[in-house]
Amino acid sequence: MASSVRYNRQVLQWGEEKQEQIEQAVILIAGLGGLGATVSQLLARAGVGKLYLVDDALVDWPDLNRQLLYSEGDVGLPKLKMAQTQLEQINSQINIEVIEKRIDSSFCCPADITLVVDCLDNYTSRFDLEESLPQSTYLVHGAIEGDQGQVLTIRKGDSQPLIQLFAGTRQPRGTIPVTGANAVTIGSLMANEVFQVIFGQPNLLNRCLVIGLGDLHFSFLDI
Amino acid sequence: MIKIEFYSLLRLLLKQEKLALPSVQEETIRELLPRLQQQLSTPFLHKLLDKKGELIPGTIILINRRNILHLNKLETPVHSGDVVAFFPPGAGG
Repeated sequence: MASSVRYNRQVLQWGEEKQEQIEQAVILIAGLGGLGATVSQLLARAGVGKLYLVDDALVDWPDLNRQLLYSEGDVGLPKLKMAQTQLEQINSQINIEVIEKRIDSSFCCPADITLVVDCLDNYTSRFDLEESLPQSTYLVHGAIEGDQGQVLTIRKGDSQPLIQLFAGTRQPRGTIPVTGANAVTIGSLMANEVFQVIFGQPNLLNRCLVIGLGDLHFSFLDI
Repeated sequence: MIKIEFYSLLRLLLKQEKLALPSVQEETIRELLPRLQQQLSTPFLHKLLDKKGELIPGTIILINRRNILHLNKLETPVHSGDVVAFFPPGAGG
């Protein structure tokens, strides 16, 4: 299918030049859980040129309330493989590379990335991901807990590092409560911010959007 | 005045997002906290401090965008015009 047809709804919104920017982008998505499943789909559907997917988990039954890439038949199988298959079915014109790895201090970021999306589920891995990035790389961070969530963009070397901002953050013991609507809402806002970064117009650079879905409250925390 | 901001679950607990407190000369965050609690109808210091009065991990406290753990922790001074933000961030993905 010609790109001019496939993407014509969004090109009507943002124009040919920005569509070309999207098709030239190379984006690493760290984590393919609730946030990553939504972010990766929206980026694939929009025609992002190349996606790196990083995860090492298997699909489990409790994932199915919010991780839109997976179905009952995927339970027990690697998320990475199922995600790659799903995303290639959604858009066969983009390039998808998978990195089956848990992000830790040994992680090496690919050299050709345009930006990184933090869809991880713990701060230790987030700090390791940030450490692995080349200077000046943009990182779109997101996190969810209960019906709360946040989205923030930083630029390594220019912004306050996540490891400083979130120092003293507690990783909750046991299972973190998460709803499907919250994961998809925050994931969608992260994807929107990714497009804004690609266009050179980030909305959340050094500005954390904090959302409460319970009372539908949006606020901003300048960092 | 000192500008106080609450985010996420603390905003929900306290049913308040922002308020202003008069500044007190040579006051630290440790001294500000009980004065802040007095201004609010809902106790919240048990979310921030343990029984010894030390910080419990979970909520970040920023003064003018800087985490107090990278300043002088609870002994960080607070001055008129400062913005003090309390934010228990989400962790999951």
